[in-house]
Amino acid sequence: MPYTLWFQKAGKEALGLVGGKNASLGELIRADIPVPPGFSVTTEAYDEFLSEGGIKEKIEKILSPIGLQDVTSMEEASQTIRELIRQTPMPNKIQEAIRSNYQALSQVCEVPDIPVAVRSSATAEDLPGASFAGQQDTFLWVRGDKQVLDKIKLCMSSLFTARAISYRIKMGFPHEKVLISVGIQKIVDAKAAGVMFTLNPLNGDLSKVLIEGSWGLGEPVVSGQVNPDKFVVDKVTKEIVRTISQKWIECIFDPEKGMVCHLDIPHERQELQCIEDEEIHELARYARRIEEYYGCPQDIEWAIDKDKPFPLNIFLVQSRPETVWSQKKKEPVLGKKSAYDLLMEKALQRIKIGS
Amino acid sequence: MAQKKGFPMPLEVEYPKELEGWEEMYPSHYLFSKERGEWENRQFWYQDKIHDPEPMPPLDLIFHEAWQISLSQYTTRVFCIPPAQGIAQRMVGCYMFIAPVEPPPPAIIEEKAKLFGKRAFYIFEHYPELWEKWLNKFQALGRQMADVKIPEELPKYVPEELVLPAPQGYYASYELIEAFNMLVNQMFKGWQYHFEMLNLTYLAYLMFADVARKLFPGISESAIGMMVSGADVSMFRPEAELCRLSRLAVSSPKVANIIKSDASAEQKIGELKKTEEGKKWLADMEKVKNPWFYISCGSGWFYYEGSWLTKLDIPFSYMKSYVERLGKGEKIERSLEEISRKRDEIVAEYRKLIKSDEDKKSFEDAFKTVRGIYQFAEDHLFWVEHWLHTIWWQKIRDIGKLFVQRGMLKEEDDIFMFNRFEVPELIEELVIAWALGEGIPLRSKYYMAKAEKRKRILEAARKWNPVPALGIPPEEVAEPFTVMLWGITTEKVQEWLKGMAVVPTEVTELKGFASSAGVVEGKVRVVKHLDELTKIEQGEILVCPTTNPAWAPIFTKIKASVTDIGGLTCHAAIVCREYGVPSVTGTGIATSVLKTGDTVKVDGNTGIVKILKRA
Repeated sequence: MPYTLWFQKAGKEALGLVGGKNASLGELIRADIPVPPGFSVTTEAYDEFLSEGGIKEKIEKILSPIGLQDVTSMEEASQTIRELIRQTPMPNKIQEAIRSNYQALSQVCEVPDIPVAVRSSATAEDLPGASFAGQQDTFLWVRGDKQVLDKIKLCMSSLFTARAISYRIKMGFPHEKVLISVGIQKIVDAKAAGVMFTLNPLNGDLSKVLIEGSWGLGEPVVSGQVNPDKFVVDKVTKEIVRTISQKWIECIFDPEKGMVCHLDIPHERQELQCIEDEEIHELARYARRIEEYYGCPQDIEWAIDKDKPFPLNIFLVQSRPETVWSQKKKEPVLGKKSAYDLLMEKALQRIKIGS
Repeated sequence: MAQKKGFPMPLEVEYPKELEGWEEMYPSHYLFSKERGEWENRQFWYQDKIHDPEPMPPLDLIFHEAWQISLSQYTTRVFCIPPAQGIAQRMVGCYMFIAPVEPPPPAIIEEKAKLFGKRAFYIFEHYPELWEKWLNKFQALGRQMADVKIPEELPKYVPEELVLPAPQGYYASYELIEAFNMLVNQMFKGWQYHFEMLNLTYLAYLMFADVARKLFPGISESAIGMMVSGADVSMFRPEAELCRLSRLAVSSPKVANIIKSDASAEQKIGELKKTEEGKKWLADMEKVKNPWFYISCGSGWFYYEGSWLTKLDIPFSYMKSYVERLGKGEKIERSLEEISRKRDEIVAEYRKLIKSDEDKKSFEDAFKTVRGIYQFAEDHLFWVEHWLHTIWWQKIRDIGKLFVQRGMLKEEDDIFMFNRFEVPELIEELVIAWALGEGIPLRSKYYMAKAEKRKRILEAARKWNPVPALGIPPEEVAEPFTVMLWGITTEKVQEWLKGMAVVPTEVTELKGFASSAGVVEGKVRVVKHLDELTKIEQGEILVCPTTNPAWAPIFTKIKASVTDIGGLTCHAAIVCREYGVPSVTGTGIATSVLKTGDTVKVDGNTGIVKILKRA
């Protein structure tokens, strides 16, 4: 079993090995969607790391006496375990595998120590919401072997947040059976980024793509820190209905500080539309293709590269099934009605015009 | 209800003193009256800016007299749309106000529902063959009207052949009386035909729009319009004929050069007659003139608009620009197949987005129903408002000529200053004088003064802006035309109420229907009267009370159009979509707020017009 797998090599068949998020990136690449290159550190690597480092037994020991109600000690246990994972070095062969993939990625991108995003990718159905996992363990602009290895361990340790532990206890899942994979992906130095849905989540309209975006990296949009620009695009007529918001902050990489920072957006850019119409149309086109590929509505993260020319500047960095409407919309809207029924209905109807 | 204090009640309207005497221009039942006051106060009356953005010349009221009866009867007595009643009309200081009549009692609704199910559905199922029949009988009616004989003069003595060997038995006096009566009857009949399938067409559209909105809650009105509208409709034929004639002209350099010159149409025809090729081309044009030049330069509702037939300079100027564009290698025709193909694609794509098979089936059924009959909305317009009306104008002017000949009126068009009940009086006085013999006085001064006074009142009315509505807005409407053609909605009524209070110079943004997609910025050209149409320059944004497809070639010139009134499938919306010109209709106040030269941004996706810079 491999410790690492390139995204394009692992689709949905490899879900147990690379987790949902990474498997979905693999699928996107297969559907010819522009996804920034990267690879997964497999659950196999995680499992071996925990076994060989003797971490498994220690965790078992720490967690076995803890009961559900014991909030303080659960928090302490979480701290101890996560610290333990961080401190324990990974077995050499795993480190080697990761290093060699990372170097290969840097070569492909023609940038030494290519900046990457490091994200966890859960395999287990036990984690209740993707948002819960996603918020805590995404690391942006990670560079160099050491940093990459450190952040991978941090991601892995996120399986042991107090909330995750308590959830597993409540549901009766054994901790040792739950595995995690980590994705290492070239970061898009984004002019603008955000999220899109392949339907309008406000009313379930399947003929629309809703795109939300703001200046800089997509994180403030995902986490709801900015009021994003909103574009509702008709899949058929391509009409765009737009709402331009006042955008206060953007998340960008500060080369001087060597880290990702939240900066105030200068006044003159606050109310500018953050993506061009042609980019909106291109995003909507990809949204449709992804939805068609998966056969169900999707929730997609996207980014637009600062330096590349259109349309090569557009990247999709994540896609997952939309959950709210996809479940609701099983039954027909109109039902089995002949034109006669529909017409009769309309003829009997009165249209409200007073208020 | 807030509206209660919003609009005045019918009898509370105050008229400027320049309008004094306007009431006598129209039949008395067109005025609000105390006797019907209780009922009139219960209805909601609004100005019909679609058909009558301008004050009503008395004789032109005939089309409205005819449609009030016809439109209403199809809803109430023929196809029996259950909760809907007719549309009533009243004149308010020379402007037409209309009201969707309140619904009937529940028992009547039930009765009507049964009849509706049987009658209406039959029409939808048999539309194609019914259309054939309709067109045949309508064309026969138009030919009858064209054949009505108006005496060229009242002869001193009737010609011998009408007396010997056997007297005809009736002469110019009777012929003139009969001619006008026939023309009136034929016009009423034409308008009976006009609504034969139109109410059902609109109902089908509303039904399909509902279905589309249930399946796709955010679907735009323009997308629905695109799905149902046809490409190969009579209304677009006149323009297609001009394109064809232009191509024909280009095939002969001599003809092309004459068409391209700056001379008047009359001079061009004179030049063309001098060469063989020119004669051939003219003969070709003559062949298509009837019916395709029988197209009003305006909406077809006003006598002064003229038609291509009477204003040949208009089709010739279009052909001049077509010939020039052909010279540059441009394509001038709209590809009908392309438009049809695009429409089919759009329908198929929406259909693909529907998840359940049951919904797919219902959508298809609904679409088939509207698609079959929708053509009527676009076809009838040419045959009634343009073709038949153009024939009518010619005939009425022939009668006007007789009045001028006999010194009763100053100009032939003064006949339009008398309503259709008054014209017979003029005719009668004229033929009495002729019959009585020599030296019989006519009350020429009386009629001429009346015509002059009425022209002054109409001119004053033009400068007067009546309130947009009267009475209390109802909570709901079931009458299909009110919603669809006139675009009366809650928002519209609110907008009017606001509009009565706004100071035009303080407005920075207008809202209307997003009826044709696209966003553009440009300079405004306000066209309130049809004669201002020729002033439009390339790339301007047309702002007008309402437009219609007869202005077709203008739409290749303008960047966008904004109208005061018009629903989702009003004429302006249809043409703008056909030409891919962004359009916002039904803003309520565009012509009073915007001035020629203002810079605006028209957003046909959202229905918003932003004023960027005042002229």
